[in-house]
Amino acid sequence: MDISLLLQFFINGCMLGMMYALVAVGFTLFFGVLDVIVFSHGDSVMVGAFAGLSFYLLCMYLSPGMPVWLVTLFVSFAGMAFVAGFGMLVSRFVIMPLRSAPALNTLLATMMLGTVMREAVRLFFPDGSNPKPFPRLLPDWSWKFGGALLRFDNIALFIAGGLLIVGVALLINHTRLGMAIRAVAQDAEAAQIMGVDFPFIVLLTFAIGSAVAAFAGLMNGLYYNEINFNLGLLLGVIGFSSAVIGGLGNIYGAILGGFVFAFLQVFGTVAMPFSSAYKDVFAFGVVIVLMAIFPTGILSERQSQRV
Amino acid sequence: MRFGGLTALDRLDLDIDEGDILGLVGPNGSGKTTFFNVVTGIYRPTGGQVVFDGWDITGFSPQAIFEAGISRTFQRSRLCLELSIFDNIMLGNFKTRDLGICGNIFRRRAFHKTCAEEIEKAVELIRLLNPALVGSIHRPVADLSMIDRRRIEICRALIGKPKLLFLDEPSAGMTHDETNQLMDEILSMKSDERRLTIVLIEHEMGIIGKVTTRCAVLNFGEKLCDGTYRSIVGNPLVQEAYLGREVTEDEV
Amino acid sequence: MRNTKDFFRCAGLALALFAYLTLFFGAEDEWSIAAYVLLGVGGVIALVSFGALPAIERLIQANERACQALMIAGTLGIIAVFREDHYTLFLLGTIFVYSAAVLGINVQLGYAGVINFSGASFFGIGGYTAAVFLQNTPAPPLLTLLLGGIFSAVIGSILLFPVLRTSGHYSALVTMAFALLLKVFLEVSEWLGGPQGLALPSLKFLGIDFAEDLVIMGNEYSFYVKYDLACLLLLIMTFTFAQRIERSWMGLAMDAVRIDETAAACFGISVTRWKITAFTMGNFVIGVAGALYSMMLSYINPSNFTFSDSLLFLSILLLGGIGSLWGVIAATAFMVVIPEKFQIIQEYRYLIYSAMVLMMIVFRPSGLLPRKPRRYIAGGPL
Repeated sequence: MDISLLLQFFINGCMLGMMYALVAVGFTLFFGVLDVIVFSHGDSVMVGAFAGLSFYLLCMYLSPGMPVWLVTLFVSFAGMAFVAGFGMLVSRFVIMPLRSAPALNTLLATMMLGTVMREAVRLFFPDGSNPKPFPRLLPDWSWKFGGALLRFDNIALFIAGGLLIVGVALLINHTRLGMAIRAVAQDAEAAQIMGVDFPFIVLLTFAIGSAVAAFAGLMNGLYYNEINFNLGLLLGVIGFSSAVIGGLGNIYGAILGGFVFAFLQVFGTVAMPFSSAYKDVFAFGVVIVLMAIFPTGILSERQSQRV
Repeated sequence: MRFGGLTALDRLDLDIDEGDILGLVGPNGSGKTTFFNVVTGIYRPTGGQVVFDGWDITGFSPQAIFEAGISRTFQRSRLCLELSIFDNIMLGNFKTRDLGICGNIFRRRAFHKTCAEEIEKAVELIRLLNPALVGSIHRPVADLSMIDRRRIEICRALIGKPKLLFLDEPSAGMTHDETNQLMDEILSMKSDERRLTIVLIEHEMGIIGKVTTRCAVLNFGEKLCDGTYRSIVGNPLVQEAYLGREVTEDEV
Repeated sequence: MRNTKDFFRCAGLALALFAYLTLFFGAEDEWSIAAYVLLGVGGVIALVSFGALPAIERLIQANERACQALMIAGTLGIIAVFREDHYTLFLLGTIFVYSAAVLGINVQLGYAGVINFSGASFFGIGGYTAAVFLQNTPAPPLLTLLLGGIFSAVIGSILLFPVLRTSGHYSALVTMAFALLLKVFLEVSEWLGGPQGLALPSLKFLGIDFAEDLVIMGNEYSFYVKYDLACLLLLIMTFTFAQRIERSWMGLAMDAVRIDETAAACFGISVTRWKITAFTMGNFVIGVAGALYSMMLSYINPSNFTFSDSLLFLSILLLGGIGSLWGVIAATAFMVVIPEKFQIIQEYRYLIYSAMVLMMIVFRPSGLLPRKPRRYIAGGPL
């Protein structure tokens, strides 16, 4: 195997891993505070990408002369804010009413919500059923290492994604707000008694998780230069798998799970060159095996139940 | 028995004789329920031995232990609330029933017959505790009051004819009168089944004194003492565990 | 049957129901379909507001056998009415087969609480098994159906180990991963025809070729009549099977395992045994249904067995009411027919039905026809 090809695979794995980790962090945050799986989270990623595209078009329409870096910042923040707001609405009107419902109901309800979001974009976004080109907002500098191509935008996206995840982890682990979120995750009732504003913390968590998902969507658009209404479904399942492999509720587990899944896919591509489609068969097969070995995820504490 | 760094049960040596009613007392967190969970197989002990009827049952699965003849109720009622009274009682009587496809799905006529027999058995048992429930044995348990749920739980534990019955705080969530009533019922049932052994967790000492033939006191996972109710009530160690030590003038 | 008066009441209800369904299936243009839907909704609202439902419920429960017979007779009647209409007959067959498959999922999830997000995958495994055996061997069709069920149960047993070790969302993920894995595998496997799938030779049984039009006394009827009868038979058998499981110690044991594993184990009920039983039985039923469906379609390809189809199965179960057998049939009919009938909303159908299921879960989580307390004997005391 050619070393430069391996390097290329490694770069791809890192990019995919970062994207999956960003999605998985949302899953794990929501599970932490409310013990629910919000399956529409994958479609929040898609909405993020489409919101970014719309804000870009809006920018171009309003002030075509705007410098690119400003446009990039505006598109990123506006897209993330939009999806954060949407996430808060979802938590308020879908997730909270289902708090006492069985887990399956919430899971199915959010899957249906995901379908609604997907179909809404397909039907109501202009020409939404076809793939859309996503603008290249980052400079296309690149360096060659033998056969491998290292692109500037990849590095920038990777670093930005990494900073975002580190930021979220710092927020959760080292601030008062983060402490409130962790308190709710441990025991919502006790946290409320100690004066934590539970509805606010839930809204906040959904805002954070959804904003991170929106960034994953933008990253997806900038990386592939194309987005379509369908991208959230697979990303959602993969993000969910990553969060579960790592151990639900554990933010480091989600990151680990994201990279594990990405490198499984990459490994599948390398090991089975005859058909790249087998990479998903391989990755999901390994997920099943991992679940058999670690029934509650890799980084999770074993809990004994009270009788 | 240890959980991580916490030692929940330590040096607990307890012999229970056939036909006894043993009261298990001790402050909260002293390991009473953990003792039940270890014996009934929900927790695997990290050390020690459980011997029942001459057999070493240490580390057996809950099913195997139930089949050996040990049955129990739970501190927080664990009935299947959406199922009917009869269904819940029937759950305690599965080991004698045919669970194969043939007997359950194809030979329905024979099944109907055994079903009628089971209903008859359940009705007999409920009649001992609360005749008023007989008419509603096909109604969900969720409709019942706390004391009736306890009764159903006791029926469920008894219908399989266990040799040893664990009652985990049967009086929790009930009034004083209700508790007394339930204990009388248990005693009268016990008088029909001389060989049945009962271990009872209870906080109210009056009840312990009335019902049990012997008691054991636990504190911090260790046995403080055991003996008859009279002998343990007078024991200074027990008073200390429950009330704290009396401070004498010398120490001040 | 208690008395003749009751019988006439039941018959009246059944007649009204089937007259309505016949009109509904026969309706061609959008306006009349919309009118019938409104009529149906209005009728149900009227029944509810007059408080007639409890009485109807009691009537049906007291005369269960007779009502089931009337339902079968009514369904046969509908098939007879539409004997020349390929499209309606095909819809009916689809309803029967899907209902049977969802009843299988009901045994898994509704009784034993084993979550299965790969229902459509097992449906597909049954179908592909039938296709492969019919293409390559002279296996008789009845055996092929059984093989479809057996294969899907056997492949399902590979999943058993991870499914039994995990719980809740973790086992949901195991079945989800399997669903995606199988879909991709079917798409890329050349041996199984890739995205084009496989064609099935027509079903021949006892000298009857199911692909030829039915000829009775010189009149030609659609060949789908034969398939519909086969599908209906499968549905009746599955229904009886599921109902008898529920009304037996097996059903009780599964319920106990679903509601409280620890308590069940303390009373000698083996959690593992009942989860395995339910999962395997459910997959067998789903596999047989899938095999029959692929024979009716006469071709099979991966696009029928996606993750969304598995979701559809679960949505049907939730919409009908988990554990409720009649609920499953009603919900299947609803979910299959409404989008097909409203061609105008065809484009929007996923949007509409996912929004509908979402509303349902939020506002009426117990489903259309919630499960009733168990009675061991039909028409027995309650």
